[in-house]
Formats: sequence, structure tokens, C-alpha cells
Amino acid sequence: MASTAQGSIPISNPDSDPRNLIVTENLNLVYQIRRSKRDTGPTSTQALKDVNLSIRKGEFFSIVGPSGCGKSTFLYILAGLNKKSSGHAYINGNEIVRPALDRGIIMQAYALFPWRTIQKNVEFGLEVKKIPKADRAEIAKEFIDLVGLSEYANRYPYELSGGMKQRIAIARALAYDPDVLLMDEPFAAVDEQTRGLLQEELLQIWHKTNKTIIFVTHSIDESVYLSDRVAVMTSSPGTVRKIVDIGLPRPRGQEIKNTPDFVKYRNKVWTLLQSAGERTEEVVEIDGRHVLESVPQDINL
Amino acid sequence: METKKETHFLLKWYQNSVIIVALIALWFVLAHFMDSMYVPSPLKVLNEFGKLIASGELFKHIGTSLKIAFIGLLIGQVLAIPLGALLGWYSKAYRYLDPILTVLRNTSILAILPLFVLFLGIGDLPKIAIIAWGTFFPTFINTLQGVKTVDPILIRSAQSMGIGNLGLFFKVVLPAASPYITSGFRQAASVALLVIVGAEMIGARYGIGYMVFVAQKAYMVSKMYVGIITIAILGVVVNYLVERLERYVIRWQEKPSLS
Repeated sequence: MASTAQGSIPISNPDSDPRNLIVTENLNLVYQIRRSKRDTGPTSTQALKDVNLSIRKGEFFSIVGPSGCGKSTFLYILAGLNKKSSGHAYINGNEIVRPALDRGIIMQAYALFPWRTIQKNVEFGLEVKKIPKADRAEIAKEFIDLVGLSEYANRYPYELSGGMKQRIAIARALAYDPDVLLMDEPFAAVDEQTRGLLQEELLQIWHKTNKTIIFVTHSIDESVYLSDRVAVMTSSPGTVRKIVDIGLPRPRGQEIKNTPDFVKYRNKVWTLLQSAGERTEEVVEIDGRHVLESVPQDINL
Repeated sequence: METKKETHFLLKWYQNSVIIVALIALWFVLAHFMDSMYVPSPLKVLNEFGKLIASGELFKHIGTSLKIAFIGLLIGQVLAIPLGALLGWYSKAYRYLDPILTVLRNTSILAILPLFVLFLGIGDLPKIAIIAWGTFFPTFINTLQGVKTVDPILIRSAQSMGIGNLGLFFKVVLPAASPYITSGFRQAASVALLVIVGAEMIGARYGIGYMVFVAQKAYMVSKMYVGIITIAILGVVVNYLVERLERYVIRWQEKPSLS
């Protein structure tokens, strides 16, 4: 799956497979570092290297990796908020150049507008979409209801807990009906118990709305619990090491986290991340992949 | 559940008024022992108050002062908010303007008044201009600061929804800066009152500042005290109203927990 250098891997035309919603081709991001004259270190750093991913319509796709591996940056490129250095990112076969309402991003810090009530926050994207006022109110109500916070519609964000704020951020993104939700470590700032609840709710919302979700996290448990597939990313440079298919049955409740299958997948992702952390050079990558393949699937069972 | 004990309203009243009552009592005592020329008794001042209200003179002065202060304040704010926002947004322009702005805003407003009189003549116009000038800076600087410090996450969040620059400015930047803007406005309003009184003492035919000034010159000491007390009351009332407005505008902010 992961490509080699030179960008010579033939990538299918994204238009050719209508099952794909988002496709990236040899996506690279190089940051220029401004250095003083005496500093002889490198003048640039590769944040993302040859990222090739195809995300299917309706899929729950997670990206897991250590801090600084570029997983969030990748998400922001898909959102159109970050620039890429080379390569392509497509949505519905069209190159992503700027943000648009076909993609809804949900950030760790909620990013609700504090001067707007919950209702008005959810209406924000609808205003940008130029939907008439009466319809806006109705749509917003529907999605606030979906995340179970109807009685808070006229409150301000400061009156809500972190978990509630994130539910509203999800409602706000869903309200303008994007094709994909791009979620950047959305539950990283809430306590463990709330996190579990939010995960379950997100799965329910996903079932109800059939949205494609790309979910960035550093929590292995979270990625395995939620996803159809988990992409494991490694850092310096940020590359996709491997994509793990999560064959757990759905619908999934929290109790699935105690099953041997769950533990198996978790260990698989964990091992991939572990071996990734030790290696930074390209040569060892092949070696690393070999090592990974040799890991017994039923380890720790 | 343990609840914080509310202060009884009678105790509150007592706490709020005891010092003022004591000062009035002190005034009675002083008036009794001192030359009534300089310290007339509170009753005499109160009597004078009544007379000035009955004759309509007091309200004519207050009306004139408030009208000029309000017009000046309005002009100052109408200029300060857009310009502050603009310069906060285009921070490069601000770098060029910062030095001259620093000089201007630190120059005593009343020192510039003769300049305004020179160019605009006497009458209401130079007073309106000087108040517009004086009330411009607090709001301008605050708006600029507010716009500069808008949380970038909010901007990114709005941009992710494909909002244009104009929408971003009006729907995100300005509301995000509103706590700064209202705080600037609160300062501006008190500057307006301060400056109108000062300006009226320098050259005017009406106005509360003029009244105090003339009363003092004419040794109408009770009238002078009436003027001073009126100015104090005006200050308190304006401050109260502006605070109410401010609380309304930033009602979405978390209230600091009251002790």
C-alpha cells in the first residue's frame, strides 16, 4: 500500500472507482525552516511523504500515529486549510484546493463561537451556505436534537461541558451536510468516561447519517473501536506505514473492548506503532514491514 | 448541598452607604465651624439645587453638555471602531502608524483644545471635535488589540466552512473583538464627560462645566457645589449605563464567580 520514492507507483484515476470519496496521490509536504547563517542543520523538513490513501464512501477511517507524524496536517490538507507541496488530494474526483462545505472539520478545541448560542453556532455553516433563516433554524434544531442537547439550544458555549461542546461541534458540521467529517483528535480533551460515551454516540450518528468519517487520534483503542480501517502513520517523514482492516462486527458497544478480537487488533496496531517509533531511516522500513508481518496475530491472547 | 451565604440586602445597603452618609455628616460639621463662604451647609446647597431645577437652568446646562458630549462620542466611536478593526487586521499598516499614534494618544487632550479653537472657532464645533478626538483613542486602541488577538482556531473553523473574507470579518473577527471594543467604549464614555466639562470651562455659554466655572468666579459657592455634585452624579449614571450595555454585549462570556 505504501509507496516507494520517485512517485512512480501507478495510482488509479480517482474517477475510475466511484466507491472512493477521498483519494490522495503521492501527497508531500515539505516545510522550509528559516535558519541563521551559522546553523548548518537541514533547511527543510518533510512533514508528509508520499501519502497515498483511498477512503471509501461511508467508511469510518482512522489515522493513528505518534505526535508530530503529520496526521493532523494531513487532515487539514484534506480540509483545504493547509497547503501541500506536491501530489494530489481529491474529493469526489476533484482536486482539493480550498475549504468548502463538502467537508466538515471538527477540532480538538471545539472551536465553537463563544458569542453565539448553541442554536446559532449550529446555524453558522448554514448561513455561509445562504440557507433561508427559517430553514436554518429548523435544520439546526434537528441536529442539536440528534446529539441530544435540545434543552441547551439557547445557552452559550461557556455553559456547556467539554463533551457537550464537542457534540455541538459535530452537530454544527453535520448541519451543512458535508460528504465527509474530518475529525482531529476530537475527544482528546475530555475525561475517559465522557470519551467512551462520545465514541458510542459518534458511531450511532455515523450509522444514522451514513457520513464518511476520517478520524485522527493518538489513541489506539479509540481507532480500533471506531473504525473500519486504521492507517498507522510513522513520523519523520510522515508516512502511512500500514492500513489495518478492523474486522470487528457492528454495531459495536463499549463491551467489545474486552473481547479477544479487539485485543488482537489493538495489539496489531500497537506493534506497528512500536516498531515505527524505533526506525527513522528508509532502509529499515522494509525490514520493519517484514518484522510486522511476522508478528503472530494472536499475540497476548 | 452547601450553598454560599448571600449577603443580606440590608447589610449590603449599609455597606454601600455608610461612608457616604458619614461624609455628609462631616460636611454638616465642617459647615457649622467654617466660613459659610467656602463651605456652605448641605441644606443650603440642597436649597440651591431646588432653585436651579425649578428655574430650568440646571437642565439647560446638563442638556447642552450631554448633547455635545454625545455627538462627539458618537463621531469618535464611528471612526475608532472601523479604523481600529482595519489596522488590527492589516498589521503591517499598523507598524507604520504605531509611533505617531503613540505620540497623539499620549498628548493631553486639553492641550490640543486651543488648536481646535484656533481652527474651528468658538462654539460647539471645537468641543465636539475635541471629544471626538479624545474618545477616539481608547476605542481605537482596544479594537485594534481585540482584532489582533482573535483566536486563530475560530478563524480556521470559520474558514473551514468556506466563509469569505467579508463574512469572516463581520461574523467572526468583530464579535470576537467585542469585549475589547466595549471596554474601549467604557473608557471613551468617561473621557467624553471629563473633556466636556474641561472644554466648557475654557470657553462656552452653556453647559455644566461653564456653570461651575462662572459660579466660582462670581463667588456663588452653593451653585458651584451644585454643579460639582451634578457632574459627579452624571458620571455615576453614565458609568452605570455603559456598564449595563457592556454586560449585555458580552453576555456570552463566562461570568467571573462572585465572592
